[in-house]
Amino acid sequence: MSVLQKSLHPDEKYKAGKLGQGLSRIGLGIAVVFFAISILVVVFSDPETARNAGHVDHATGEPAKWARFLYDYVIGWSYIFSICVGVFWLVLLHHLVRGRWATAVRRIAEAMATALPVVFAAGLVFVIPLVAGYDNLYFWAHPDAALSPTLAHKLGWLSPGFFAVRYVFYAVVFSAMAAYFARKSRQQDESGDPKISETLRVASGPAMIVYSLVTCFAAFDILMSMAPKWYSTIYGVNFWGSACVGGFSALGLLVLGIQRTGRLTHSVTPEHYHDIGKWMFAFTFFWAYTAFSQFMLQWYGNMPEETVWYKYRLFGDWQWVSIAMLVGFWAFPFVFLMSRWTKRIVPSLVFFAVWQLVFHWLDLYWNVMPSYDWTLEVHDKARVSAGPLAGSIAYHHVGFSPIDITVWIALIGVLLFGIGRNLRGNLIPVKDPTLGLSLAHENL
Amino acid sequence: MSDERTPDSPSGDDDHGGTAVRREGPLFGVLAEFDTPGELIDAARKVRAAGYTEFDCYSPFPVHGIDEAMGIRRTILPVIIFLGGFAGTVGGLVLQWWCNAYNWPWNISGKPAWSIPANVPIGFETTILLAVFTSFFGMWIANKLPQVWHPFFRAERFNHITDDAFLIGIEVRDRRFDGEATPKLLADAGAISVERVHFDPSPAVRVMPKWITAFIVASTAFALIPFAVAAKARTSHSTEPHIHIFPDMDFQPKYKSDQAMDLFGDGRENRGEIAGTVARGSLDADDLFFRGIEHAPDGDSWTTKFPARLTINDQLMKRGKNRFEIYCTPCHGYDGRGMGAVPTRVAAGGGAWQARNLVDAGNPVVIHMPNGQLFNTISNGYNTMMGYAAQIPHADRWAIVLYVRALQRSQNAGLDDVPADHRSGMQMPEAPQ
Repeated sequence: MSVLQKSLHPDEKYKAGKLGQGLSRIGLGIAVVFFAISILVVVFSDPETARNAGHVDHATGEPAKWARFLYDYVIGWSYIFSICVGVFWLVLLHHLVRGRWATAVRRIAEAMATALPVVFAAGLVFVIPLVAGYDNLYFWAHPDAALSPTLAHKLGWLSPGFFAVRYVFYAVVFSAMAAYFARKSRQQDESGDPKISETLRVASGPAMIVYSLVTCFAAFDILMSMAPKWYSTIYGVNFWGSACVGGFSALGLLVLGIQRTGRLTHSVTPEHYHDIGKWMFAFTFFWAYTAFSQFMLQWYGNMPEETVWYKYRLFGDWQWVSIAMLVGFWAFPFVFLMSRWTKRIVPSLVFFAVWQLVFHWLDLYWNVMPSYDWTLEVHDKARVSAGPLAGSIAYHHVGFSPIDITVWIALIGVLLFGIGRNLRGNLIPVKDPTLGLSLAHENL
Repeated sequence: MSDERTPDSPSGDDDHGGTAVRREGPLFGVLAEFDTPGELIDAARKVRAAGYTEFDCYSPFPVHGIDEAMGIRRTILPVIIFLGGFAGTVGGLVLQWWCNAYNWPWNISGKPAWSIPANVPIGFETTILLAVFTSFFGMWIANKLPQVWHPFFRAERFNHITDDAFLIGIEVRDRRFDGEATPKLLADAGAISVERVHFDPSPAVRVMPKWITAFIVASTAFALIPFAVAAKARTSHSTEPHIHIFPDMDFQPKYKSDQAMDLFGDGRENRGEIAGTVARGSLDADDLFFRGIEHAPDGDSWTTKFPARLTINDQLMKRGKNRFEIYCTPCHGYDGRGMGAVPTRVAAGGGAWQARNLVDAGNPVVIHMPNGQLFNTISNGYNTMMGYAAQIPHADRWAIVLYVRALQRSQNAGLDDVPADHRSGMQMPEAPQ
């Protein structure tokens, strides 16, 4: 064995054993407890807050008190979806470029990506009401949407039925791709056939193209259509950048958690954390780059139909969230993750992983929640429901609700449940031809 | 590699071993070869432990762990690059501030002279530029490059350094260097060969060829010429026109409007209209249509009608609305009440200017204005309002007059204007202010 190769340490514990079951149970517990709390909060909340935000059942005139819950659900769902999307990118890229360093953590990334079927199943909670006619989540599903000339011609694409068809399409494509890459990788554990690596390499090219398009369109459909009159072509790319920040942060934390159980203690070294940290750093900057690209063109162009989205976020209460995003999601981690040591000292990396995971949620919250305010002030401050971004920024009827947090945590529980199901057998691709290179990996 | 450059005995002693032995320069150092990267690391560790500092390891590829074995500290290059990038950010922003906001502030549509978002892309580029420059040139300086020649190049085994040789070279200038002990240390560390390397006996080989020095001096001097020319141009005056390096099609043998010309008696290049003629389609004798004036035996007056050549219909009304919203709304507003985007902006800036209220029932000057006078105002302007004759064709001006009439009706509409069968359940709002 040369210095470039290492074999698996003889004492290495690389079998999952009961790890996956434990994680699933913890995840399920978190999900059940926090969903219960959220539902209780909604049931006992004052329904008038929903009316103040312009969410009224158009048939009965009753306030739509579940609207806030569904908004939070879409944010939380996008959060766990984006984490799976982020780590799945690592799997695809690793095969595409014949990567080496990540082989030691690739099985865990595969396990996270194969949580996608569970994630998509969880998304039915907001897709099914939409198809059933619930119109207080997406404004384009509301009967009033047809009254808007800018919206009327978009309603062919943005219709509940077609939305559901696309959702199922995304679910099938993503789940199948993730499952394929994970299954082939496990087959190699049995046979040790190096041809499997080649097959996956060939598959990863087209898969990367499909992956990019599906990610982009999912972001357009599920997040951007929250403000259906507004549009930004870079939105999907920006979402993906944020998703990869979340994905790599979550991967780092999960690998560390698995090491804490005494598994993989010899295989995963600070070198691997260093590389995960590099990706966190890269995507922190990439997110800021695309976010600024989106902002600057619209700010400079100064077209009302574009700037309205930023008008809501740069003035009033939301400006503090925007400043927090600039400093917290970009400036602070960017400056500190730049250094080699902040990525190699594991507690420091953990700090930034947790930090970025929180700010990744804030990013999605910042993207979606301003659209919750559907009110338009007319004469004598009377309010009518007119859809997202309709009103004056002087009035905000969004506020903060405890379910913003509890629904998010509940969906993290769903994600842990989904990941736990896949943590079984070997936690490391034991017969991958590049494993030796990954175990000996060093950052010069 | 020619033979003359290779020292023919490892000992390198001068004037020994017969006539074939050539003279050698002073000893530069010893070069030891090792079989594998692993042995190279072990040997480097031993050399370092023995207290040597002036030594280096040579290998065909980066050997993991060699830095640590040799005791090389991590480079400070990243810190320098960070500072370079930071200087780029600050420099880029200061440059833009100085140019746009301080030295030459220029009002462009009332936009602020200094606004951070607009300056970020340039700041980003200058950050990248200086960071890349410092990393590129910093790397050269840190590696003592460019170094076109090195005494170890004279060793035959050094030719294999890009192929399969793993070498350690210890230089004589090291304080611990010893002619006997140092080669022995290397041999004990597992070297497969140890070689003494001398400087070339001819001092001429060790200095840079004169023509290279001359070339560098000459090209540097040549590169200063543009700066010298620019400096001269900035500090001197000239009556000569600029040197036109690229003529493109700037000078053409043709006449432009209002130039002098000898061909005609009046010395002008322009030929006016011939008296008594009208260009096709330009006859504007119809005063009613072209000027809004109606002739009558008791004198001329503004017409109160619309010209007969226009068909008053929905299509003309829509055309009028369309033109009105393009040309008139910026000042008069969509409702014609005189608070368009421009007065709104004036009010936001603390001013109090308002365009004429076209639909004001309380002061119905415009409402009572004859059609012809409205047409004339659009054509030729009024007070600070400029004329639109050059921008809006005659028929469109009449369409605007028609639309203004409709606005005056609609903005002052009452319950009586609603058809009787639609009135039930309607309430009159308070009179608009």
